[in-house]
Amino acid sequence: MKRIDNRYALALIYVILTAYAVFSVIPFFWTTIQSFKTPRQANSRVPLFIFEPTTDNYTDLWLKAIPDDPFFVAIVLVAIFGLLALVAINARRFPIARGYVYLVVLAVGFAVLWSIPGYIKTQTFYDYFLNTIIVTAGTICISISIGCLAGYGLARYSGIAGVIILVAALGFRSLPGMSYILPYWWFGQRSGLYDTHILLIVTLVAINQPFTIWMLRSFFMNIPKEIEESAMVDGANRLTAFISVIIPIMWPGIISTALFTLLLAYRDFLLVRILTQSNWTLTVAISKYAAGEDPGHITLAAAAAVSAAVPIIIVVFIFQGQLVKGLTAGAVKG
Amino acid sequence: MNRRTFYMFMSPSLLVMLALMVFPLLTSVWLSTQYMTFRNINEPEFVGLANYLEVFEDLKFWNAFSFTMTFIAIAVPLQIFTGFLIAVLLDQVSKRIRGAYLAAFLMPFIVVPVVGTLMVKQLFESGGIVAWLFREIVGSRFIFTEQTVKGLILVHALWAATPFPLIVFFAGLQTLPHELVEASMIDGATRLRQVRYIMIPHLRSLFVFVGLISIMDAYRVFDSVFVLTEQNPIFKAEVMMLYTFRTAMSVQRLGKANAMSVITVVLILVVLVPFLLRTYKEQTEER
Repeated sequence: MKRIDNRYALALIYVILTAYAVFSVIPFFWTTIQSFKTPRQANSRVPLFIFEPTTDNYTDLWLKAIPDDPFFVAIVLVAIFGLLALVAINARRFPIARGYVYLVVLAVGFAVLWSIPGYIKTQTFYDYFLNTIIVTAGTICISISIGCLAGYGLARYSGIAGVIILVAALGFRSLPGMSYILPYWWFGQRSGLYDTHILLIVTLVAINQPFTIWMLRSFFMNIPKEIEESAMVDGANRLTAFISVIIPIMWPGIISTALFTLLLAYRDFLLVRILTQSNWTLTVAISKYAAGEDPGHITLAAAAAVSAAVPIIIVVFIFQGQLVKGLTAGAVKG
Repeated sequence: MNRRTFYMFMSPSLLVMLALMVFPLLTSVWLSTQYMTFRNINEPEFVGLANYLEVFEDLKFWNAFSFTMTFIAIAVPLQIFTGFLIAVLLDQVSKRIRGAYLAAFLMPFIVVPVVGTLMVKQLFESGGIVAWLFREIVGSRFIFTEQTVKGLILVHALWAATPFPLIVFFAGLQTLPHELVEASMIDGATRLRQVRYIMIPHLRSLFVFVGLISIMDAYRVFDSVFVLTEQNPIFKAEVMMLYTFRTAMSVQRLGKANAMSVITVVLILVVLVPFLLRTYKEQTEER
């Protein structure tokens, strides 16, 4: 469309867009500022923008006691994760397949994260962080494995049953989660799985399955049929053709879907709140900071909110290309 | 692909969904006819429709119901209007700057709802920047009451959910046929008329799609209301989902809570059925 060339009209457009951008961003900006204040500074009558920043809120949130040599610990941690990031970025230069390099990087990263409480006295908040990693990682692995099979089947089968399954799945996804999550509590209590990671992972897989199969299906539909058909002419059956021919070219789609699954599993609140007593994930843990009597709760809540937002922002930043691909696949329904 | 192979590929996912979505939904219907608290989860007592009668006579339920409906009636049109307005304006801006604006607009959408709510709430806490502005302009302190918490829930909904219509409409505008717009320019159509007679008809199906999804999302809003009413039990600012949750987990009346959740499912069918029929038609045509 031909653009507006009237200078005043254009200025007005920029003013409105900027105002809306400020509205979108200001809670992030303000919360980050508050998280670096002392409770006294945060509660001051006139909002402070210039102050001496303190990291006390973060250390209170994550650590029981500050290690004797905090700088040494910080340098070691930065060095380890910097090295891992470097290896991951240069994965294609290694003589083995890229997938293995990523696996090794992930395994070492997880091992380091899990061994940290052995050296540093961490708060329970760190345990919730680890819980979150277990639950999201488990959900992604299972959800993508069974979702790929289903998505492929749905993309290639032309019978009416496929459409019915897809529409029914969308319907369940659109229902208020409460309607099937409340019974989970009862199942959990009766089976003794209440407050375990297993129950969380299995139920998260189930409630995200509709989304996963819709998205993977649309990626599989973009892959021409001829590819696996030629493999099947050569004598492979459909499952081997699927695993050896289709999956290797599906990686971009799988990564996009895994990313959305991560975002969905990470943000889930209701399910985790109902199914756990103490094995919380971050989202439930930080909701506990929402209210409090002592004046310190504002800055602590700010630090908790920032801490929970940073991993997601990092992930989104690294994988923004895949996210856009996922959005444009037209699969994001519900 | 033949039918047998299809079901072979489909079965793991289908089983998970049947076991953990369809079956729990049926269980919920069954539980709604039982009297059950945390004490007798192993031997619930059959009470027929008593739970439903109790829900219909519960004033708090009707309060939650009317707040949910008010919330949908205010939040959804506001989200769609703002999203459309911003999308149209963004379309006028040069491509280089769009990316930066989009990144800012999408941040509330990406962040975890609980975290986003805490962040919005920070602005209104004592010492918060909006609380300060409020005091400067209105002259009195900002306090969390039933009315202000309801307002906050709306502000948060506008903040967090507007990006969805915004991106959908923005993507839709990119497919607007050029010839149509140019022809209308030659005919001397004003900008406003272009919006009215070209853009809105072009985006009509997207309006329906976004409207239905936004209504369903607003209907099941939970996380933000939970965080904002955590302060103290402001029961009047509850939406239906939160009242169901509290009935189940705090009051420990599981049968009654399940009856409520069955009622909410039946109510949402008004929107859900047209949405699903629309998708079904699309998919069968595409097939």
